Amino acid sequence: MGLLEMEGLTKRFSGLTAVDDVDLTVERGETKAVIGPNGAGKSTTINLVTGMLAPTEGHVYYDLPDEDAADLHEIRAVPADERDQAQRERIEELRGEYGITGSEPHEVVQKGISKSFQTASIFPGMSARENVQMAALANEHGSFQLNFLRKRDSFREVDETATEMLEAVELLGSDDVEAGSLPYGDKRRLEIAIALASEPDLLFMDEPTAGMSPEETKSTVDLVEDLQEELGLTIVLVEHDMEVIFRIADSIAVLNRGAIIADGTPQEVQDNTDVQEAYLGGVEL
Amino acid sequence: MSSERSDEPVTDGGTVVRDESGSGSVGGRAGAFYRSLRENEFSVVIGSALFLVVFPTLLIEGLGTLNDSIGDPGIGGYEGLASLVLIYGIIVVGFNLLLGYTELLSFGHAAFFGTAAYSAALLSSTAEITFAGFSATMPGITSPIAMLVFGTALATLLAWPIGFMSIRRSGVYFAVLTLTFGQMLYFFALGPGSGITDGDNGFGDVNVGELLGFVDLGEPVSQFGALYLPVVGNFEVPFLITLDYVAIEYVFVAVLFLLALTVANRIVNSPYGLIFEALGENEQRVEFVGLNVFRYKLMAFIISGAFAGMGGALFVMHESFIHPATALYWIQSGDFVIMTVLGGTGSLVGPVFGAFIFEYIANVISGATIPVIGEIGSLWRLILGAVFVVIVWVFPRGAYGALVDLKNIVVRAVLVLIWAVRNPGDVPEATTDAFGRFRDGLSSWMRRLMARVGLGGGS
Repeated sequence: MGLLEMEGLTKRFSGLTAVDDVDLTVERGETKAVIGPNGAGKSTTINLVTGMLAPTEGHVYYDLPDEDAADLHEIRAVPADERDQAQRERIEELRGEYGITGSEPHEVVQKGISKSFQTASIFPGMSARENVQMAALANEHGSFQLNFLRKRDSFREVDETATEMLEAVELLGSDDVEAGSLPYGDKRRLEIAIALASEPDLLFMDEPTAGMSPEETKSTVDLVEDLQEELGLTIVLVEHDMEVIFRIADSIAVLNRGAIIADGTPQEVQDNTDVQEAYLGGVEL
Repeated sequence: MSSERSDEPVTDGGTVVRDESGSGSVGGRAGAFYRSLRENEFSVVIGSALFLVVFPTLLIEGLGTLNDSIGDPGIGGYEGLASLVLIYGIIVVGFNLLLGYTELLSFGHAAFFGTAAYSAALLSSTAEITFAGFSATMPGITSPIAMLVFGTALATLLAWPIGFMSIRRSGVYFAVLTLTFGQMLYFFALGPGSGITDGDNGFGDVNVGELLGFVDLGEPVSQFGALYLPVVGNFEVPFLITLDYVAIEYVFVAVLFLLALTVANRIVNSPYGLIFEALGENEQRVEFVGLNVFRYKLMAFIISGAFAGMGGALFVMHESFIHPATALYWIQSGDFVIMTVLGGTGSLVGPVFGAFIFEYIANVISGATIPVIGEIGSLWRLILGAVFVVIVWVFPRGAYGALVDLKNIVVRAVLVLIWAVRNPGDVPEATTDAFGRFRDGLSSWMRRLMARVGLGGGS
């Protein structure tokens, strides 16, 4: 059953429906790719989950126990206006318990959902180590437990986490370098380290290999695979590079004009005629 | 200095410092010692304390000698300047936490400065105040510490709601909102609140009492022992205490300045410092590591408001008079911004240099008489503007950044000299190389300058 569940997620921007009634499940421990042509609503969907945008309609649920998720799936299959009283009460209960809709991004992160951005979102003027320390501090000391008269050096465990994460992305050698002067590929890796230092269960990656050379792409793909194996992370990635997707994705959801047109294993998606028509224009993969 | 260096073969024929990181860091034991000293937070405090002991002497005697040497154009009136610089120093150190680290540009910090000044003044006053039909007699509590605490506390309390409402918006909107709140207070003090503030007449009933019940802040430091230490008698501290015109008030202000600097230094080195810096660099990322951006920005705002309040309370004790135009008008807020940028936002103490340059021009240069223009007087802002443009243009890291650059040049020069003495044989070749590099550097700098002013190449 899913770690992350979406139910009827919809976002309209003054007339344009960017995301249209999306029901989607991200299973625990899987790597799910979200693909689709430009403007299909991939990034908007992620932004709805991470709290960057508030949905017009629909709900997002996180970390449901299996029996609750099963209930959700059952009710989700019934159109909203046909649900009976018990179903409506049950889904309200689930929303209260597991709903993260409308949370601020920092609240979503605190629940265990991290994100790496399409363009490396780092702190360019700080050293690579400080970049990761920031995230580790936030993770271990929460929103407002910090004393502003306490010396930073005394947070030893924060520094250990930073070292660990820098090691994981193979940046330990350049931890004193100002982050802004790192090569682009390293900046992306640093951003992954920042995202990991929050100790997430679920990691969103928005085009992790965009703008990378083939070598950088390969090492990033290796890194993502390692992370998934070692940390048991659940990963959702938006990506254009089909080679990358078919190598690392366990399942693929295809979006077109804001709606899900296919969701399944890479093989299923590949064989789906709708996908071939709508997204790939009939070209064989 | 770098005794280990001499054993290393210098193969590139360049100067010794070429292979360093470029920021003028010094190798060897001396360099390592210097760096460890610089990293230690107490060295900032102790270094500043030593500087504060000689500061009035440097200011009064040193610049007095300079004046005489250029034929004394009438520059005078130093006596209170040392205290004034430190009072503004406290404000801009706090303001820099907001502007330099968090990169929030507030144009409303006069609100906290003025609120603290008026509330400290009112606390010490025995005047009758009226507002909206109510009237009260002020308590006349003249203890300097009580005035300081009361003023700072009220400023901090005010910073909370103003910050809360302003920080919801960012960039220009934030700046304009803070400006608006500041102006609201200014017009309140002039108009409806004039029963409290005495409006445009200014408030003059400021009574600064004796510190701890017995120390008169107006007495000269040189008489401290004679007046208050009957057993010890008078004693002398080199530099500071020999000056008859340095008041005990200076010591009071200097101690508080040190306290403010210590607290600010600790904040910068606490997790908050890192978060403030991160907020200035990439707010979205801070949100996405799970931190409540709003709360941390608000905290930076309140902390800087408290520093401005501390400065305001000391200012009114120093001046014994307060007027809405000096306390609350938006130009006062702008002056804090100018001082901070002038001194340099990249470091903790940088803005204090800005406060010094600003106050020096405002209080000393304004009294000078120069050819063509005559007495400078109120034209001092023109001079300040010119200095500001030059510093911001030539030294983007402010006056303090310029001093750091200068220090690095001196350190390099000394290292080169040491190297030259130890390797006399390599000197001619190295000189040729260095000259070549200098020529290349100069021409590329010229090209960039031309491009910058819109002439010639560049991209």
